[in-house]
Amino acid sequence: MKNFLQSLRWRLQIWHGLLLLVVVVGFTLPTFHFARESQTQRIDRDLGRMERGLIRSLMDVMQGFQTDPSKPDYRQDRPFMQFSEFSQRITTQPVQVPPTTAAQFHGREPGYAYFSIRDKDDKIILQSENAPEDMRFLPIPASDFTEEARSIGNRRETARSNSHGLKVVVGRDITPDLQEMHGMATLHVLIGLGVWLFGLIGGWWLSGRAIRPIRTISETATRIAEGNLEERINITETDSELGQLSQVLNQTFERLHDAFERQRQFTADASHELRTPVTILISETQRLLKRERTAEEYREALQTCGETAQRMRRLIESLLLLARQDGQTRKEPNSVCDVSDCLRDVVSHLKPLADERHRQLEAKLGPAPCKANAEAISILATNLISNGLQHGGNVTVTSCADGGEAVFTVSDDGPGIAEADQPHIFERFYRADQARTGSSGHSGLGLAITKAIVDNHGGSIRVISKDGQGTSFEVRLPA
Amino acid sequence: MRILVIEDDPHLLRSLAATLREENYAVDTAEDGEDGLYKAKEGDYDAIVLDVMLPRMNGWEVLTRLRPARKTPVLMLTARDTVPDRIKGLDAGADDYLTKPFDIDELLARLRALIRRAAGQTHTVLEISGLKLDTAARTVTNADGEIALTAREYALLEYLALHRGEVVSRTTLYEHLFDEEDSTLSNLLDVHVSNLRKKLGADVITTRRGHGYSIA
Repeated sequence: MKNFLQSLRWRLQIWHGLLLLVVVVGFTLPTFHFARESQTQRIDRDLGRMERGLIRSLMDVMQGFQTDPSKPDYRQDRPFMQFSEFSQRITTQPVQVPPTTAAQFHGREPGYAYFSIRDKDDKIILQSENAPEDMRFLPIPASDFTEEARSIGNRRETARSNSHGLKVVVGRDITPDLQEMHGMATLHVLIGLGVWLFGLIGGWWLSGRAIRPIRTISETATRIAEGNLEERINITETDSELGQLSQVLNQTFERLHDAFERQRQFTADASHELRTPVTILISETQRLLKRERTAEEYREALQTCGETAQRMRRLIESLLLLARQDGQTRKEPNSVCDVSDCLRDVVSHLKPLADERHRQLEAKLGPAPCKANAEAISILATNLISNGLQHGGNVTVTSCADGGEAVFTVSDDGPGIAEADQPHIFERFYRADQARTGSSGHSGLGLAITKAIVDNHGGSIRVISKDGQGTSFEVRLPA
Repeated sequence: MRILVIEDDPHLLRSLAATLREENYAVDTAEDGEDGLYKAKEGDYDAIVLDVMLPRMNGWEVLTRLRPARKTPVLMLTARDTVPDRIKGLDAGADDYLTKPFDIDELLARLRALIRRAAGQTHTVLEISGLKLDTAARTVTNADGEIALTAREYALLEYLALHRGEVVSRTTLYEHLFDEEDSTLSNLLDVHVSNLRKKLGADVITTRRGHGYSIA
């Protein structure tokens, strides 16, 4: 039951069923009511006609007319008798009900009719032999007459009393009419139920159709959750709400997949990069421990191990730096700093390194304010400049403000980067010569870190290089 | 036994070469793919230890270029340990595959196995005319017990034992027992052979004049 109520389809179906039930009942109830009303009115009109016939036949008897309804001139050329006179005469002078009329008020067959005429003291003047006990007469009004129609059990009767002291009740058994009404009610209920059921089935089908894309989405999402990150939702109709949802979800999955893939690649690369130094440590220590060595041999091996450990430390530091950059959400750094100040610091810091390698390190710095984290900018500049000193030759650093952006370039006059390598140089652990350069002092992550920092600041970095004609990195950061 | 190690990391190369030399292998080294391929084609090695990530020419390429011409057993060293990488290496013609980081003893055992298999032997213990030669422990025993041999003497005996029935020329022996850093004169071979005969008995190694030596 809990599952039913949690299912969107079932909830839709229940609401739909309730609503449809209200509509069906709202339509059939008044129809049925109207039919019953008009039936009652018809019965009442019937009763009125019977009463008038009864009175007329009694008047005819009083005036001594031949009461033979089969004659064509029946009802014609008869003097009109006032109802007051009739009331007077009937109370004083008893009359017989003519047999044709009496035949109408006779028996107990379903649909039988009866009448009763009484005076103001409820004394029976005339009454059909089948009149029931529980007839109700209206009291004598002060003037004119009163009348009322009512249902008693399965009978319908009209009672009329007039100021001349005459009480008349004409009634009829309405069992056949009630049966007819009953049939009609059953029919209404059946039709209503039919419409309701039809609506329910239609609703079930419709909600199923509406929910089908959701099921597709949920199935795809389940497969993705199970680890198949390459799965995508198959979008057939792109304009519907669910189509748009699917597109959004697909984009999310795409980004998730990319992030996951990057992470996986990164972990693989990192472990790959760490394997060689670990191999050296294991190999050296195992070799060393196989037998006694001279102090010189120990010293040499320890030196190798020490250098290797340093290399691992550099790699781990770079990895952590990169992980920290990756972990940062792209938010606006709120501190404003001048790129030229950062660059000046970095250049003075790296000057000894350049001198050691007999390279020129020149700076032409103009003010270039931007919203950035000064520490990150220093790391960025250090990476680019030491990269230039490592691979290139003499390095020139410039900075300036350019239309709402802080721009700085790091150029070297080294051998440049082959065109085929240029799209890949910002990839992690990408090396143009395919070889590991671990022992030469850099991790293969410098440019990847640079790119991550620039991305985190919402800036852009591009490389301009031709084989043999130096390399220039241009960084643009929003001011 | 002479082994070529092709590995671009100088520390690892030095360490591997030192280890192998201490195990009495003659070791040549190469620091990049091109140099490695050249040496592998020119020299006559008992096994090659080949790294995958190499400058100039990667390990797979070295292997594919080497393969039709040379049947030298190759042990690939790599930091890539996924199944597709291993399959690629083995399909390219590698005889064995070792993922970094590895234990040095495992590397040595695998190399011994490769050399043994290349020589058509399946057991680590070779029996020649009443002598037992344990290639794993590097010992030679007869009915009286272990016979003390120098590293060179043992290497010479092992090579001849692995190729028993063949006549091994002096040049071949020289190539397989001394690496490029050795400047030993070739007549040292005769000294080793005569020492071995003194220790094991005169009839173990036969001399075919003008051809070389053999163990029956």
